[in-house]
Amino acid sequence: MTTEASWLLSPAALRGEAPHRRGVSTHRHILRTWIAAAGVVGLVGCALFGIDALRVIIVTLLFTFGVDLMFVVTMRRASGGRLSRTFLIGVLAGLTLPADVDWHVAAICGTVAATVGNVIFGGWLHPALVGRVFVQFLFWEKLSLAGATVAVGPVLSAAHLFMGDLNQAAKVEHYEGWMETTPPSSKDALLLTPPLWSLRRFAQGHIPADGDLQFEPLLRDALPPWIDALIGAVPGGIGETSTLSIIIVGFFLIYRGYLRWQLPVAVLVSAFVAASILPIESGGNYVWFPVFAVEGGRAVGLAYVLYHLTAGQLMLGAFLLAGDVVSSPMRAHGQVVYGIGIGVLTIFMRLYGVLECECYWAILIMNVFVGTIDRFTSRRVLGTAPVDEAVPA
Amino acid sequence: MQMSLLTHLLGPRSAFDGGLYLPDRKASLARRPIQTLHPEGPLHVPLTVRRDLPTEPVVRPGDRVVLGQALSRAANDQAVGVHAPCAGTIEALKRVWTVEDGFLPGAILSPDGSNERTRQHQGWDNESIIVQLAENGVVCDTPRAPLHVVMREAISAGVTDLIVNAMETEPYLTADLRTLVEFPGRMIDTTCELADALGVSRAILAVPFRHRRVVRRLQSEAAGRYVEIVALSNPYPQCHPVMLLKAVLDREVAPGASIFTEDAIVLPMATVRRASDALLSDLPTTHALMTVAGDIVEHAGTYRVPIGTRLSDLAKRVGLVAPAAQVIYGGPLTGSAFGYEEAVVTPDSKALLLFGRADISRPVPCVRCGWCVEDCPVGIDPPALMRLETESVCSDQKRTSLRACIECGLCSHVCPSRLPLSETIVRNRIRFTGGDSATEGGTRH
Repeated sequence: MTTEASWLLSPAALRGEAPHRRGVSTHRHILRTWIAAAGVVGLVGCALFGIDALRVIIVTLLFTFGVDLMFVVTMRRASGGRLSRTFLIGVLAGLTLPADVDWHVAAICGTVAATVGNVIFGGWLHPALVGRVFVQFLFWEKLSLAGATVAVGPVLSAAHLFMGDLNQAAKVEHYEGWMETTPPSSKDALLLTPPLWSLRRFAQGHIPADGDLQFEPLLRDALPPWIDALIGAVPGGIGETSTLSIIIVGFFLIYRGYLRWQLPVAVLVSAFVAASILPIESGGNYVWFPVFAVEGGRAVGLAYVLYHLTAGQLMLGAFLLAGDVVSSPMRAHGQVVYGIGIGVLTIFMRLYGVLECECYWAILIMNVFVGTIDRFTSRRVLGTAPVDEAVPA
Repeated sequence: MQMSLLTHLLGPRSAFDGGLYLPDRKASLARRPIQTLHPEGPLHVPLTVRRDLPTEPVVRPGDRVVLGQALSRAANDQAVGVHAPCAGTIEALKRVWTVEDGFLPGAILSPDGSNERTRQHQGWDNESIIVQLAENGVVCDTPRAPLHVVMREAISAGVTDLIVNAMETEPYLTADLRTLVEFPGRMIDTTCELADALGVSRAILAVPFRHRRVVRRLQSEAAGRYVEIVALSNPYPQCHPVMLLKAVLDREVAPGASIFTEDAIVLPMATVRRASDALLSDLPTTHALMTVAGDIVEHAGTYRVPIGTRLSDLAKRVGLVAPAAQVIYGGPLTGSAFGYEEAVVTPDSKALLLFGRADISRPVPCVRCGWCVEDCPVGIDPPALMRLETESVCSDQKRTSLRACIECGLCSHVCPSRLPLSETIVRNRIRFTGGDSATEGGTRH
């Protein structure tokens, strides 16, 4: 029924300019959804790498959050949403680290992400990646794959998910795929070769051809089954390996509208094209267009390119790191350019570069060009000439 | 209208870059027919329609008037008089408060409940359409001026196309849709008459494709007439004249220019409805067709409200389930919030929205999500224009962008950081270009 009392609560609250009704998505919703997405990937990482993964994520998160909180409190720079974003950066930085690093590596990663990435650069370089590439240099012997003659890393076996001990790892002689292989008794984890290491060695011609067969030794002997790379049962960073879960949470972010589909698509398509075209070294000469290689009636070239897409940091970079709202271009057009840059640079550095974490480097390099990309993809104002036809005043 | 099967199923594509399909919140509202509210208390009738249009009162306190009788007379040819919205006695002549213009000269009219009205002319008389519009006090909503003045300007500007704007893409508003549902033939007839008077070569009625049955009904009414029915996709702000011109005729108004420079005139549906009363029935404008809605309104719907009804009385008559925390005069994205008890209904009132909770939250720093840039219908960069607030110089390019803004409010609406983008852009435009919106050509306000 009609209220007989005053029809207004208080006239003082009624001032305000149009628009009076706002959209429903606030920065809180965006950051919560992103944190949840990163958390799901982290959970899958914890399943594959055990309690050590949780330890690394929590240490990174504590240091990122704590250092940024100290800055906010001492410098009085509090602003809405800042600490939520720092929380997201902490989780993402944890996802980029392998689970078997010491706690001080995670602590330094988090501290650098907060101080250098967030406070000094103000977030325009992805802070989590600033921290990650810093510890990559600082703890080169520990984190790098390049020095080892045979790089290996531990992954929990299918029977010991979540609860297994990552240090109780052993090599197996005949690896048939993660689902089928069980480690020797009293061991929880398998020592496996990262596909990225095999791919890099292959591109540099270190995996010798078997007669006429160039790709077959790589696919047969050096790489795990592709399904392992999809579910993430390969060594690597906590959140880097689980391709399938990354794609699922990426689709959720796209569905919610908090990530533009153009960006991951541009990254992955350009990486696919680059890996298809760019030559690999084989027996002293370069083989262009590896995607068209067919050996023994099998499309080994295509398999090689698909391994490139699922190996290393590319998936995590494409869905969860490149799409960071602060450090990526504003428009979908710009994000396509940005994504193409990331995809091509990643594959290029992977094939010919010496830097590891090539996808993180590619994202940081493209972050530098975001301002330029934004300027060249600005929209035409209605009723004015196109930007390139406009006469400079 | 030829349509492929796909267009028939999915509807036409959005005709401009940007824009957003808002939840329209009209479903239950738009099913209720238009109801006429009869005056219950004294009416506070403003005697002019805009503050700068002078009129002279032709009644004195104590006079008895009947429905449709003139209360004031235009003092120059830019103004129009106001007519009595009911039969009754003039109590006093004193100022009344309107949301758009503040205080205006007004008359307090006590209704006596009789249905007595002025004698109507039978059939057509020899006066021109424009004189009939002026005598019956028809006003236009955008530009906000008497319709005969707008039409004279349009004729001297040599317009060749008339677009009648029935898009109404703002949430909650239903007046135009109900008009099209209830009086499709009258609207077509009036559009033809106005097109005749303007001497245009094309007359177009733009309606939302969403309401397919309305579109089909209008097409059958318009068969054989020279009014074209154009069914458009309806992202907000397709209802803005500049976007409508882009969608219908693919012409772009230069930033800061009047819409007449593109040889077209865009008349809102509400204006055509008032003109239909004046031209087809020789009835002066005495009522406003308003949507009264919001989450605390008990009997939300489309109402024909006598001019001079106090908005607070109107709110009480439709029934509130809770006291209002936010009262909006006009649409939710372009209207004005007010809280003054004395505000009254004017001829161009289109909606009264009452909400139990004000949508207010503190702004946080921009996160560069780019939603405002993607959704802006005219392609400007709202964050860059907002940053002008702390600067003292403005580049020519940014000045053009400031002029191009059509004040649709979409950037502020979508901003996840709740930044006051569109509000600040309006302030910066006044500061740096020293003027009103260019695209509205000074004809809106």
